[in-house]
Amino acid sequence: MLDKRFIVVSGKGGVGKSAVAAAIAKSAARAGRNTLALSMVGNGMGLGAHLGMTTLEFKPQQTEPNLHALSIDRSKALVEYIQIQVGLPSYATFTPAVRAFDVLASTAPAIREIVTMGKVLWEVKTGHWDLVVADGPPTGQIGSFLGAANTMANLVSSGRVADQSKWMREIQMDPTATELVLVSVPEELPTSETIEALEWLEGHPVVASRSIFANRVLPRLETEAAGTGLAADAASLHRSLTAEQAIWLERLPTRLDLPFLFGAESATVVADRLADAMGALVS
Amino acid sequence: MTAAILVTGGGGVGKTTVSAAIGVAAARRGLTTLVLTVDPARRLANALGLAELGAEPSKVEEEPLLWAAMLDATSSWEAIARRHADPAVADRLVNNDLFEAATGQFPASQSYAAVEEATAFVKQGKWDLVVVDTPPSAGGIEFFTAPANMTDLIGGRLLRWLTGGSIPGRRFLFDRAARPAIRIADAVLGAGLFERVTQFLMDLRTTYDGIAASSAEIDRTLSTAQTLIVTTADPTPMREAIRFFRDLPTNAQHPTSVIFNRSLPVAWVEATTPDDDPELAANFARWSTESARQHRLRNQFSERYSTEVTTMEWQRTAPTDLDSLEALLTTAGGYSLENLWS
Repeated sequence: MLDKRFIVVSGKGGVGKSAVAAAIAKSAARAGRNTLALSMVGNGMGLGAHLGMTTLEFKPQQTEPNLHALSIDRSKALVEYIQIQVGLPSYATFTPAVRAFDVLASTAPAIREIVTMGKVLWEVKTGHWDLVVADGPPTGQIGSFLGAANTMANLVSSGRVADQSKWMREIQMDPTATELVLVSVPEELPTSETIEALEWLEGHPVVASRSIFANRVLPRLETEAAGTGLAADAASLHRSLTAEQAIWLERLPTRLDLPFLFGAESATVVADRLADAMGALVS
Repeated sequence: MTAAILVTGGGGVGKTTVSAAIGVAAARRGLTTLVLTVDPARRLANALGLAELGAEPSKVEEEPLLWAAMLDATSSWEAIARRHADPAVADRLVNNDLFEAATGQFPASQSYAAVEEATAFVKQGKWDLVVVDTPPSAGGIEFFTAPANMTDLIGGRLLRWLTGGSIPGRRFLFDRAARPAIRIADAVLGAGLFERVTQFLMDLRTTYDGIAASSAEIDRTLSTAQTLIVTTADPTPMREAIRFFRDLPTNAQHPTSVIFNRSLPVAWVEATTPDDDPELAANFARWSTESARQHRLRNQFSERYSTEVTTMEWQRTAPTDLDSLEALLTTAGGYSLENLWS
């Protein structure tokens, strides 16, 4: 997986999407690949925390050897998009016009998404990075982001946006370049959302390849002993929880399991320990 | 007079389950209670004895005083358009092919739809208590800031400028100042789409008076409601909980309590236990580490933000009926949630 050029990570809120994105980026960086981790939605604080940064900027900042991180600010991305992608001169991007356009952009379908995806895929296209890892939109919005290029192509048949959507789709549909990672946890709602996303993807070819990570999977107890005292209580809770998890894991047959992290103190520790666990899985 | 309890917190912490548990307990203490949720967990609906939750409150059969409904942002947004715009304009808004995309994309619109609908139930006066499981976006803050954001958006200078104030027909399209924006829009969107967007925004503008008046009402309701934060001791939901305290919206009360869901027994902290089976001893050791971490975080949090803390036990299985929902509350440690209605 780490030999891809673009990995976009999605999942329901609360499943550890940002942690997994950070861990993938760290694994790649440690394997010597020049990696960019970026946050596609929100303020980037989640991804930042896992990389040991209090905030992420629109400009890439180095977080450790071989690893840079940035957060996509929609207004700045729009200015950059207009200048680089659409090729309008800078006088056309003075602030009030951009702010006005920003309002229009939040109304028209796919504009926000195409600007965000445009920025992300531009970073992939420049060739400056060996790998771009995106902390992506929640599962419910995969369609509107990964499908932005298609939506746009249907709405406007000519013009610069139509051209943009073409190369964007080419990167997304290249199986050697792009991978979508869906993160789930073995619970009811995240599992059904993941299954819904997979079904949606069956009917909508927006990305060439995909994989599933089940996060916070508890290790199985081998012994059948009941134990005594507090150890018995802990064993009993543990067995109930693994039995419950098994129900949901069964519904996602093809997946990679990431461990439940006992006693992980901070977001950086979470990402580091996930990266260690991932090392064996994805190399 | 209907009391409201707003349950906030990040995603995946069990907020919906906790809201339902509060609802069951309140109903069993004699309060006519409505639980509003945003999350359609099928097993939770089953636990309440409902096949599925709809936008209209339905009665929970086995609990005479308990009602439940789901807040659906898309359909309630349509209701808002119909409430605040002329019938003809509302029709045009709802039938505009941008409507669905726009309602899903205005930063505040989904939260606004949820908060307007929730407060409308509170104002109906039909229930003694309304428990609102709020949308998890931005750690729950968006639910509180949505009325102001929505009013700003629709009444803001930017949209006024775009749509030409109150004079019909005098749109910014004819305004020299807007030409760079048009140039960008034409280059990016093509002119046809741009026209439709403009029409849509102009129609939306007509909802301003209604939404501004509503927002003021909503703020009054929010500011008298008790708030609860649900979190787990994991870094991500904790960061959201901290954010709620740090950026406490002006129309929100200081949270009555922070509920730490999935708490492990305090007796496990720093305990050592002899066991003949080395695997079970090692298993206990790792759970003890986790319990110690949770304990430390809860104490730090409660001290730092001077707040009450309630601990809810990590459930072996998800609650499957009304009794197991209520048990979440009756077995909780720390600040007693029974204080909410006594």
